[in-house]
Amino acid sequence: MMADLDRDIQDHIEIETQDNIGRGMSPEEARYAAIRTFGNATKIKHQTYEVWSVAWVERLLQDVRFGVRTLWKNPGYAIAAILTLALGIGANTAMFSVVRGVLLAPLPFHQPERLVIIGESRPNLNLKELDVSYPDFQDWQRDAHSFEQMATLTWSSYDLTGSGTPQHIDGMQVSAGFFATLDVPMAVGRDFSRSEDQPQGAQNVIISNRLWKDRFRATPQVLGQYLKLDGADYTIIGVLPPGFRYLTEADVYTPLAVSNPKLCGDRTFRGIVSIARLKPGISIAQAQGELSTVQAQLDNLYPAADRNLGIYIDSLKHDFVGDTAGMLFMLLGAVIMVLLIACANVANLLFARAAAREREFAVRSALGASRMRVVRQLLTESVLLALTGGLIGLGIAKLALVVVLGGIRDSLPRGENVGLDWTVLLFAFGVSLAVGILFGLAPAMKSTSKTVFGSLKAGGRGSTRAHLRSQGIFVIVQMGLTLVLLTGCSLLLRTVRELRNVNPGFEAKNVVTFKVGLSPSMSRTEIDVQAAFQQLVDRIRQLPGVEAVDVAVGLSLPLSERDHSGSFWVGAQEPASMQDAPHALLFWTGPDYLRTMRIPLLRGRFFTPADTLKSERVIAIDDDLAHTYFPGKDPVGQTINVAWQNFGPARIIGVVGHVKNWGLNDPGTDNPSQIYISVYQLQNLVVPDLAKYLTIVVRTPLDTAAVIPAIKNVVYGAAEDQTVYRVRTMQEGVSATMSSQRLAMVLLAAFAGLGLLVASIGFYGVISYSVTQRVQEIGVRVALGAKPRDVLRLVLGQGLRLAIAGLIIGAVAVFLLGRSLPSFSQLLYGIKATDPLTLLTASGLLLGVAIVACYVPARRALKIDPIVALRYD
Amino acid sequence: MSTKDKERIELLQGTLDLLILRTLLPGPAHGHAIAKTIEFNSADVLQVEQGSLYPALHRLIRRGWISSEEGTSENNRRAKFYRLTAKGRRQLTVETSKWEKLAEAIARILRPAEQE
Repeated sequence: MMADLDRDIQDHIEIETQDNIGRGMSPEEARYAAIRTFGNATKIKHQTYEVWSVAWVERLLQDVRFGVRTLWKNPGYAIAAILTLALGIGANTAMFSVVRGVLLAPLPFHQPERLVIIGESRPNLNLKELDVSYPDFQDWQRDAHSFEQMATLTWSSYDLTGSGTPQHIDGMQVSAGFFATLDVPMAVGRDFSRSEDQPQGAQNVIISNRLWKDRFRATPQVLGQYLKLDGADYTIIGVLPPGFRYLTEADVYTPLAVSNPKLCGDRTFRGIVSIARLKPGISIAQAQGELSTVQAQLDNLYPAADRNLGIYIDSLKHDFVGDTAGMLFMLLGAVIMVLLIACANVANLLFARAAAREREFAVRSALGASRMRVVRQLLTESVLLALTGGLIGLGIAKLALVVVLGGIRDSLPRGENVGLDWTVLLFAFGVSLAVGILFGLAPAMKSTSKTVFGSLKAGGRGSTRAHLRSQGIFVIVQMGLTLVLLTGCSLLLRTVRELRNVNPGFEAKNVVTFKVGLSPSMSRTEIDVQAAFQQLVDRIRQLPGVEAVDVAVGLSLPLSERDHSGSFWVGAQEPASMQDAPHALLFWTGPDYLRTMRIPLLRGRFFTPADTLKSERVIAIDDDLAHTYFPGKDPVGQTINVAWQNFGPARIIGVVGHVKNWGLNDPGTDNPSQIYISVYQLQNLVVPDLAKYLTIVVRTPLDTAAVIPAIKNVVYGAAEDQTVYRVRTMQEGVSATMSSQRLAMVLLAAFAGLGLLVASIGFYGVISYSVTQRVQEIGVRVALGAKPRDVLRLVLGQGLRLAIAGLIIGAVAVFLLGRSLPSFSQLLYGIKATDPLTLLTASGLLLGVAIVACYVPARRALKIDPIVALRYD
Repeated sequence: MSTKDKERIELLQGTLDLLILRTLLPGPAHGHAIAKTIEFNSADVLQVEQGSLYPALHRLIRRGWISSEEGTSENNRRAKFYRLTAKGRRQLTVETSKWEKLAEAIARILRPAEQE
């Protein structure tokens, strides 16, 4: 059909010509008239062509080709736009990959939405705790019907000796159904069976794929071989698939009941975590309801251990990552602001370019291009810019993930999941496309409006006013967004500084902590462990540079340790259920601990070496406990009954200062009471190995690197095959509690800096452009007698007006966001989100930057020679 | 331009399609004849830019409402002839009734205004 079109048109014109000749025209006239009556043949052909419309693909290719040529001819503007977009899109892609890896991606287990974690709560005290007791768990397994599989787990660590270098490795102790609950098949061998998971069961172990490759060179003959963990031989019965991890990359997994026989019989000891897989179709609410009923029966059957205990169930994913969601989304919002700032810059660039191309648009319109066609062409160009920027942005994102996030990745749960996968690539592509279209639209529409086309005669200046107005709007928005980012960043900076100044109740400077792995050949009874550690501590105390040293358990700093709490009661009347009794945070320490941590002793005394298993049981309490339970009296000499681990009645010998256990922003409401027990008075503990719980705390002005080798010598001197691990300064532990704030601060600072850079460049560009456009006007003013000061006022005035308008909008935004964004306010400490001083400082900074950005264009304006200006067209 | 041209009304795209279908109802015709017929039958009120016929014709071919074939015009000149298909015949009825409803509705709105 199309091939004939030319001919058909000719035939048509031929017939009309003949008609015209019949009407009496000359052959020439007839032909001209016929052609005129027919109309614009080129346009007709194009329109017909478009009817057979795979034409849109052709058009797109045409637009793309033309767009590439245009951009190639003006590399400066193209490169500026591409780089700006690359920064914005790159930052967004990096942040999105974090959000995706941590929050959005499902857990790497089969049907992860059915996985839940089960915790015991104390509804009357409004506490939710994750830890459960083993006998309770067994009863749930028997009586509850909402779950396909249930399992429990806890974490541990071992000294791996034997063939190969001795290492200290992380491990987990899991019940027999653990891997089945997660639906993880073994790569080699088998899972634990129910019958094996008993207190007297065989010492079997399942190892990680990584350990299999490192230590056994991935031989299939690994089954039946032995691993020496803490001196005992464990038989390898299975190897996990590569990449398996449950929160941590544990290397060995042993049966829970075999490793923790005492724990399995004690209903009051809550030290394990329980997970389960819901049956298909059962919701969390339903399961929680059913299990609560089961638990209510247990409450009645075992009031001493379980009274008033409730159940709460949470999705496993939420348990892993829930706390970080608010902060990560807030950061995503911030980086989107950066993208908007970058896009505004590009839009303004496009405005400036479009003004120079008015003639081109007008001519194309005259040739028959509809407005839509020209707009489509411009959009294609902006999308091309955006896609190129997006491609480079991917590179920037990769760099950012490696460099910046590399250090911070550990403080994020599921941080190992963060990377550039296909969803992130899709996101980058989608964002580039959206950016290209959205921000190309305004300049494209504005530069092809009817008023523009009429301006061909007017020397092509008509659109400038409209363009400058639009650019002004974009600049104002940029300023506003930048202010929001700067304010947020300053607030976090202040927060971190405030946090650093908080007194935690002890002195964290110059303290080093570490753990010791005792020789596997040593006996692990409590007495022997206590003696071994006492020896180590005494020897370390002799080292030069060591001011004080002792053992401790119960520190939550460093946070890898779990804290211990127990119930107690004052007075003779034992409470009906341990759940009703008051709880306190327990610290098991040596005598020198107070001096090492520089915790103030307020009354009485602390432990001495005379407090042993043979002497009277003594404890020290903190001043909160003293004020609550012994108001107005001297608690020293009074007796408290500590129910935990059947410690029994103990005499208070001293009152010490309260410490902030969970970090500097710990409000202390969860567990105000703190009790100190001497390590050397502990016996018959339910914990399997006391040595694993002990941390040695050393106060020394020396650098860690200087003092650790000496300490290691002491440890190795006691026995060659002992290990020193988890070496951390107390400062690092304290910083770790601020890791969310620090992460948010670093990222927000990066975003604010980026935003400020891009916005100031954009601001400079717009003012500069405006001066160029107004050269004539300024020339006229100068010619009419304007002084340099007036010209300066003109340029600066425009700049200031834009900046101040932006600041006002930004301030309003800060107020609104500050009120309505709990995820941000939660991070703050010691300062409100709407703090006026911070806002003023940030505004001042921004204003200063704006003025500096006006400086060069203002100088240029001052140099305008009126004679030259008036001739300039 | 003569005053006659000022009275001519611009033709909308869809309407042109309808008129072409109607024009072909009696029998096949070539492009030039179709243009002339529309002008003539509308007493010169409807101005058809002769060229704009062709995109319309191709649209109708693409939809399958008309078909084309080679032929000879009255003056023994070569011309492409267009003919209504069965589908096109059905479509003509549909479109005509739609148009009549539209015209009726507009007329009804305009009539009260005339009475004021």
